[in-house]
Amino acid sequence: MAVSAAGRSTPWWVPWVLVAPGVVWLGVFFVVPMVRLGMLSLDDGGLSNFVDVFADNSEVVLRTFWYAAVATVAAVALGYPLAYVIATRGGRAKGLLLGLVVLPFFTTYLLRAIAWRVLLGGNGPVVGFLQAVGLFGPEDGVLATDLAVIGALTYNYLPFMVLPVFVSLEKVDRRLVEAGQDLYGGPLRTFRRVTLPLSLPGVFAGSLLTFIPAAGDFVNAEFLGSDNQRMIGSVIVANFAKEFLKPQMSALSFVLMALILAGVLVYARLLGTEDLA
Amino acid sequence: MHPSITRRRFLGGLAAGGAAAALAPTLLTACGDDSSGSSGGKKVVFHNWPLYIEGDDPATSPTLTGFTKAVGFAVDYTTAVEDNDSWFDKFSPDLAKGKGVGVDIVVLTTWMAARMVERKYVQAFDAATFPNKKNVLADLADSPWDKGRTATIPWAQGQTGIAYWPDKAGFEIKSMADLLDPRLKGRVTLLSEMRDTVGLMMLLDGKKPEEAKVADALAAIEKIKAARDKGQFRKITGNSYTDDLGAQEAWASVAWSGDIAQLQAEKPGLKWVLPAEGAMSFTDWAMILIGAPNKAGAEKLLNYVYDPAVAAGLYESIAYRAPVQGAVEKMSAEARKNPLINPGAGVKLHEFRVLTADEDKQLAEAFNAATQQ
Repeated sequence: MAVSAAGRSTPWWVPWVLVAPGVVWLGVFFVVPMVRLGMLSLDDGGLSNFVDVFADNSEVVLRTFWYAAVATVAAVALGYPLAYVIATRGGRAKGLLLGLVVLPFFTTYLLRAIAWRVLLGGNGPVVGFLQAVGLFGPEDGVLATDLAVIGALTYNYLPFMVLPVFVSLEKVDRRLVEAGQDLYGGPLRTFRRVTLPLSLPGVFAGSLLTFIPAAGDFVNAEFLGSDNQRMIGSVIVANFAKEFLKPQMSALSFVLMALILAGVLVYARLLGTEDLA
Repeated sequence: MHPSITRRRFLGGLAAGGAAAALAPTLLTACGDDSSGSSGGKKVVFHNWPLYIEGDDPATSPTLTGFTKAVGFAVDYTTAVEDNDSWFDKFSPDLAKGKGVGVDIVVLTTWMAARMVERKYVQAFDAATFPNKKNVLADLADSPWDKGRTATIPWAQGQTGIAYWPDKAGFEIKSMADLLDPRLKGRVTLLSEMRDTVGLMMLLDGKKPEEAKVADALAAIEKIKAARDKGQFRKITGNSYTDDLGAQEAWASVAWSGDIAQLQAEKPGLKWVLPAEGAMSFTDWAMILIGAPNKAGAEKLLNYVYDPAVAAGLYESIAYRAPVQGAVEKMSAEARKNPLINPGAGVKLHEFRVLTADEDKQLAEAFNAATQQ
């Protein structure tokens, strides 16, 4: 029987009661659908569905993870300096600046994709500017390119990178930075040897929060891409309701989950999870 | 499937579909699962495609409000059919168990209507409450999959052809062959509805879709795949093709007539053409589901729509071919001249043969592999 700090014992069942709602919730809304999806994926072909669907969609699978990886790296490149400035130079404006980071979330995801479509469209300001300065010809465009889809993925998931990195940087003990400077470390060296390693758990968490939903995204590919920018989510969404393709699409859903899980495990193995922010 | 869907309508449709699905069990409880077909409720629950009634607004639709005034039943009308597959996916599990889903009438495309009939998910009409069924156009009065039109009745018929921007394309498009022209590389969209796109390609090959052989359809699919692999197509998609076409990101699209009638109202430069080798038509069929809470009311509604005077107003408004004899004669002179409403005897339209389950699966998988991966 557990003993509380005040010396009173806690009944053995209390932790179970506390954890039960969450377990039931996940059981009903995650495990049960997953089991049903798993059974469905074995219909009409069994395990060969997995092999077939992976072989048939290998190009889309590779493209999906490539997009998600590039968007994650771009989010680190954009988000880390932003989080660093807010954490170290934000002063009293920290709250405001963080509010601005999450401001896009006040509009729906779909509307943000549509806004990008207008912005990058053939009659939009981006293409108009590029044509005006002579970089684009009359028929060139930004929509239906890898850049458009990856750019939108980066934009949409950037706050998921900034926030954990910010928290991680906030937790860095300033005295360690000062100690580094006292030991004749220049700003760059101090950053590289002290601040960066201590903030890596935030980068790790932000990378997971960016990469996982980006790999499952389909809205941006749908609105900003062409057939050459399709992602796994696009294929599943387009075909899941088709009766004859349901097993294959269920299998493809599992392939997507398995690949994301494998990637996350490798990443966790490399960086460790002990100090996650 | 066919009418143009604006973003607002798309989202509204999603919400309506979700609400309908969420409310279905409640409706069942409230109305009772009256599969006997008696008039158990005072409203008719109707699932239809967007833009298939006047103004897409049941509150102001003269057809629906007129029916309520004349017959006394309210109509719970929602644009819950976003596409055939998603509607079927949502409701077929209960229908397969012989249970009603709280819906009286649904409108689905030929191939799905045939599936609904084959699986006995629909009920036969009662001639006593639907006498105007005799007014159905002669060419739609019978089909191999519903002999004598016992359980399905056409709601609307449209055309599948080509819409394009002449100034962008730079040449006159007359045929599906023109959509494979390298000058349009990356600027063409095809429909992800297999029967429409493959049917048009088969016509280009000189094959008739109404007599489709699997080998011919597979050859057409192979041709589509070869062009897609070369980057000819921007997208092979459903309703959302109108986004690319409307924004002139796509210069030429395989398109549904209803969509283009809507788009042309805003963008008169958009041109509609039926391919020289032949065009496809589609028909969406109204049917009464098993377990319909108000079968008699549903039949009375269809009977009301099949009054030529009512049909004239409805189909003139939504710009689809009226499937009701005598309706065209009661339309305005302008509507009678509109080829989308009144195609005329000279226009040869084709409709894909109803496939067996095995053929359907084989072609669906081949088309999917060629266009969606």
